[in-house]
Amino acid sequence: MKESFFRSMTWMHTWVGLLVCWLLYLIFFAGTISFFRDEVTLWNQPALHNAQAPQERISLQRQQIIAGVDYLKTAAPESNRWGIYLPQERESQLIYAYEKPRPEGKRFGGWQEHYINPKTGESLQQPRETKGGNFFYRLHFDLHYIDVRTARWIVCFASLFMLVALISGVVIHKRIFKDMFSFRKNKGSRSWLDSHNVSSVLALPFHIMITYTGLITLIFMLFPYPAMTAYEDGIRGLFNDVTPTNVRTKSSDEPAPLTAVESVLDQVYTNWPNADLTQFAIKDPNKASATITVRASTGTHVRDQTPTLLFNGVDGSLIAKSVDEFSSTEVFYDSLTALHTGRLANPLLRWLYFLCGVAGCVMIATGCIMWAKRIRERMKKDQRPSFGLKLVEGLNLATLMGLPLATSVFFLANRLLPINMIERADKEILAFFVTWLAVALFALFKRAKQQWILLAWVNSIACISIPIVNALTTNGNIISYLLNGQWALFSFDLVCLISAVLFIVQVKKLRTHRQASVSNVRPSRVAKNKLREQSA
Amino acid sequence: MSELLQFSLCLLAFNCFALAKFNHYRDVFKVRPTQKQSNQFVIAAWISILLSLVLSVVEHKGYGGLLFCGYMALSVLLLMIFYSFKASWVKFMSVINITTIFLSGLYISVF
Repeated sequence: MKESFFRSMTWMHTWVGLLVCWLLYLIFFAGTISFFRDEVTLWNQPALHNAQAPQERISLQRQQIIAGVDYLKTAAPESNRWGIYLPQERESQLIYAYEKPRPEGKRFGGWQEHYINPKTGESLQQPRETKGGNFFYRLHFDLHYIDVRTARWIVCFASLFMLVALISGVVIHKRIFKDMFSFRKNKGSRSWLDSHNVSSVLALPFHIMITYTGLITLIFMLFPYPAMTAYEDGIRGLFNDVTPTNVRTKSSDEPAPLTAVESVLDQVYTNWPNADLTQFAIKDPNKASATITVRASTGTHVRDQTPTLLFNGVDGSLIAKSVDEFSSTEVFYDSLTALHTGRLANPLLRWLYFLCGVAGCVMIATGCIMWAKRIRERMKKDQRPSFGLKLVEGLNLATLMGLPLATSVFFLANRLLPINMIERADKEILAFFVTWLAVALFALFKRAKQQWILLAWVNSIACISIPIVNALTTNGNIISYLLNGQWALFSFDLVCLISAVLFIVQVKKLRTHRQASVSNVRPSRVAKNKLREQSA
Repeated sequence: MSELLQFSLCLLAFNCFALAKFNHYRDVFKVRPTQKQSNQFVIAAWISILLSLVLSVVEHKGYGGLLFCGYMALSVLLLMIFYSFKASWVKFMSVINITTIFLSGLYISVF
């Protein structure tokens, strides 16, 4: 251990941060995109681009549910589950869905969805198969290709390291308020340190909140022992206890007529007079075990658990209702989860979340680069770089430049892969990981400034290509989105263009630095020679 | 409009915090600030930031606290860009900032 408190904190900040920085970058990057999960999914499904929620969205919900149940009664009378997903501000299409027949030995047969434009009432074309924003959402904590539980443990450890790095960072940053607005450009590693500090400090409350709440969302996996002691069936028992609507009914084959939907809706609106409903689901319709679940939006309340009502599907009686008033521990857990997911956010807050997420990515990226840069600066001229330095430089290039490129390729694959391709959604994800692997292999062999410049060019071209390919393969483009007020789609294309510009700026900066470093060699050598002459 | 007022107050607060610092004040006005001026900037900054927080929380409760954190991040980012790359523009930015506060405040009080 180092000799002073400050030095040991600096040591801890450096190593705790460096060990997991690439994984943290992936988590932050995917998490930042996930704030716009629904918007990204919408962009990935051009068939739904023209669906618009009507202005009187909430007042139409009752009518839409009744029409939906009528449709499902005709389309899938034998199905085990029906679902009606009502248009929301961020997901404007109306969906009537039913479960397809279950294959032998399977517990779920998958959903067959029927999309409707709620404004016109017309059926929409079946959208292309894609994971869209959900891919980034799952990648954020499930890491893909890894067993889910293992992945979540890894993410939790990385988050814990991040929290330690954040706290030690605050401790070692002596001039946290004095240097709050300072960024000294063109000063080598000093500039990198400034950008690391500024990106950390400007969103410090967000960084601490998002890391801490991230750990809290998975707290029952990390620390299940109190629940295991108190409940016979452990965590499941705890969740069933705090969620009264988690009632499991045994499926029956005995036929029974479905209760009148109107009477159920009357009860719903008596309980919640101004409810903004999101979902109306029926399990085992036309059977004695039928149940109806109705969910409502939480709006902008700092609450994650959706208000839910559970009805008997045969006699229409209310079986269970989600609690309106939480206990203090429930409020603590639920509100922290809500803060992390940001589902409560309106567009303004969502963009602020996004901005802070980008600041987090910059903070991690500058931290990784700074370590390698400082080691390089300390090296003597004839000294060969160590394996550790080469590894860090390779991982920096592979992660910091590879991940944005892989993301661009994911979106390009969405537009360019044949629409009827088998397992299309998986192919998009494969394109993402193959691109990332290719960049990693490239970084394995060469990772000098020239490779950074090359990858920055490739990234800028990929980012520009997204709106262009979108315009060529769909009926819309960035200008039509602007004119029609399709803000989610317009913002997506605009962010791609801004990213392309930023990569071009990166190329310009890297080239300037290279030229500066070449031109700086001679004067310093001349000065050294002069000193030698003087000393001689 | 109330969000604009809350953000403008937050931006003004951080601008005052920045101007209370010797080096930032000198970058903008080319002269040294007196101790009294620095103190006045700090007091103005605290009043403005508290007003921004109170308005956010009163209007949106817990959600307002989150918005306020976002406003702080955006304000610091904007000011960092101005002070590091275009310090001479800070005067104009400050005028626009104060005008926005007055106009948005007037709009809220009238409508």
